[in-house]
Amino acid sequence: MTWIHVYLLAVGAVVTAGLSVVSITIGLAIGISVCAASLAKSAPLRVLARLYVSFFRGVPLLVLLLLIYHLLPQIGIDVPGTVAALVGLTLCTSAYQAETLRGGFVNIAPGLVEAGRMIGLSPAQILVRIRAPIALRLTLPALVNEAIMILKASSLVSVVGVGDITRTAQNLSSSTFRPIEMFATAGLFYLLLNIVVARGGNGLGRMLGLRG
Amino acid sequence: MTQDAAITMRNVVKRFGGNTVLRGVDLDVRHGEVTCLIGPSGSGKSTLLRCAAFLEEHDDGIIRIGGAPIGYDAAADGSRTRLPPGEIARVRRSIGMVFQQFNLWPHMTALGNVAEGLRQVLRLPKREAQDRAMAHLTRVGLAERASFYPSQLSGGQQQRVAIARALAMDPKIMLFDEPTSSLDPELTGEVLTVMRDLAAEGMTMLVVTHEIGFAAHVGQHIVFLDEGRIALEGRAGEVFRKPWHPRMAQFLQTYLDRGASVLLEG
Amino acid sequence: MNFDALIEALPEIIDGLEVTIAIWLAGCLFGPLLGLAIALGRQFGPRWLDRGLWAFVEVIRGTPFLVQMFLLYYGGPFIGLDLDPTPAGLLGLIVYGAAYFSEILRGGLIAVPKGHVEAALCVGLDRGQVIRRILLPEMTLLVLPACVNMWVVLLKETAILSIITVPEFTLAVTAFGSATFAFTQSAAVLALAYWGLTELTGRLGRSLEARFDRFRLV
Repeated sequence: MTWIHVYLLAVGAVVTAGLSVVSITIGLAIGISVCAASLAKSAPLRVLARLYVSFFRGVPLLVLLLLIYHLLPQIGIDVPGTVAALVGLTLCTSAYQAETLRGGFVNIAPGLVEAGRMIGLSPAQILVRIRAPIALRLTLPALVNEAIMILKASSLVSVVGVGDITRTAQNLSSSTFRPIEMFATAGLFYLLLNIVVARGGNGLGRMLGLRG
Repeated sequence: MTQDAAITMRNVVKRFGGNTVLRGVDLDVRHGEVTCLIGPSGSGKSTLLRCAAFLEEHDDGIIRIGGAPIGYDAAADGSRTRLPPGEIARVRRSIGMVFQQFNLWPHMTALGNVAEGLRQVLRLPKREAQDRAMAHLTRVGLAERASFYPSQLSGGQQQRVAIARALAMDPKIMLFDEPTSSLDPELTGEVLTVMRDLAAEGMTMLVVTHEIGFAAHVGQHIVFLDEGRIALEGRAGEVFRKPWHPRMAQFLQTYLDRGASVLLEG
Repeated sequence: MNFDALIEALPEIIDGLEVTIAIWLAGCLFGPLLGLAIALGRQFGPRWLDRGLWAFVEVIRGTPFLVQMFLLYYGGPFIGLDLDPTPAGLLGLIVYGAAYFSEILRGGLIAVPKGHVEAALCVGLDRGQVIRRILLPEMTLLVLPACVNMWVVLLKETAILSIITVPEFTLAVTAFGSATFAFTQSAAVLALAYWGLTELTGRLGRSLEARFDRFRLV
């Protein structure tokens, strides 16, 4: 184990972090839309949202990645493995985030909304000023957990050839015949990234002025 | 129909599934009076109050707030027509409501809670909204708690902020839904004092309460609800001195047994 | 799709499904048992044990299952743990699950109201009886939804074992896909099959929860 190996793994960590940040961000945007659909008045919309959440939460990420990796070229979209990996991670996390957010909205005490109606807030104002901030308060810890989960799950992109932490460790392991050091160091990098995300989540919570 | 009444209810019926909670209630709440709704739990008091705010939709009958129908209006052929949401919101503007569970928004300070309607509904400039909100917090004795979040306030303080929040919108009528029921006994006093002051200022109030002492002292019009019907109503003095309705007598007895008789004496 | 090839590969695919389900069920059973041991050790054991188990659980929960499997499968032989893919996968899944189950169960233990334990001590139950007769049953009730969730997670994680060549369902189907160049179709079949299985598990879990609902006080 030399500094070169650590450096290469650190580069992999940057790839892992980048993949995670992008998929979580886009996943949140999709998740919010799917969550809105799942709470909509229209029954077909709700059914679609439920199917979406159920499918992308129910299929192992590895299988999802394989499917997307092979499916995209077949329907004429020729993209590098990294993009296929991003699409898979994003779809997966969007379903989890949609479900988490839905739980937040459903668990808002009805009285808080009624209080808004009584002082004359419009439905849109109630959504923006009351329901959304409270749902975020309720779900921020779960969303941070979800971010950590996708960070770890992103290790599966190594199977479609993306040079993340895990893929780098695999390559180094077979070239140096030192799997224990390489994979243990890879594990340390994941732990480190987890801590960063958890800290970031706490900071975000404070920034948004969320309190118990 | 008394046009000068603050709230009039005619034949109000409310069902939850197969369960009929209100079985045709006629009620008049007069301007400047404190009307207390009392009765055993499950008698429909809270439901009736929530119907007056149209937080529950009554299945039959008409409710008028200051003469204007809320939620449903009577059509010429005797049926009812649903009023548009904008109209419901407009009528609701003359009502302030205080809930059993306070329902303060946890992500806003006490001041933020009170100022929210002034900013978002009345569109007041920030400074003016905050000044007015502060004045209302002062009125309920909580000026020095303005920057506290609900989680940092006691139940009694939270309920007083909730009262200030409702008053800030300058309502003609205040509805109170068991405002002290989720408070520790030693905290009910501060909330009842605020309510008493409000009554003394001539606010029209409809109060669902278990505080028989408050009803006896502050209430002017007492309505005893039993199994979804008004079993007895009248002036406070008569109703409590001579509770001629057997259910009312039985209901009061349970309070007297708990030592509330002292409160009734005054 | 090449149907002759499919019929030829079918026995292997069915074998793969059996391996997946066997490993998964073992994880569902032994994961919680080992997890319970960890939870009890942390809750009632000495401080050093709590510390050590905490670190172990955090490392397992903080790193990807795939990396753990690589470490075990490729690193194991260097420390005298030369396992075939299937036993390695089985061991890995149980240990992985145990870390998560230990946290779920510990949360359940802590959530049992103190008063229930005090009431049991007051009627004269001893420490062991309190754990067996009061704590564990009440805890089970509290943790059931989280356990069902974890069972579904474990089912999905078994797919990862294909990467270390455990002859399970994903490996069998992808092997067929490569042999016939039906990559997309085989991945789609995999997706639908896992979706059906996880949906079924979730439903069974929820009906189990509903059964236990009558014990719930609140």
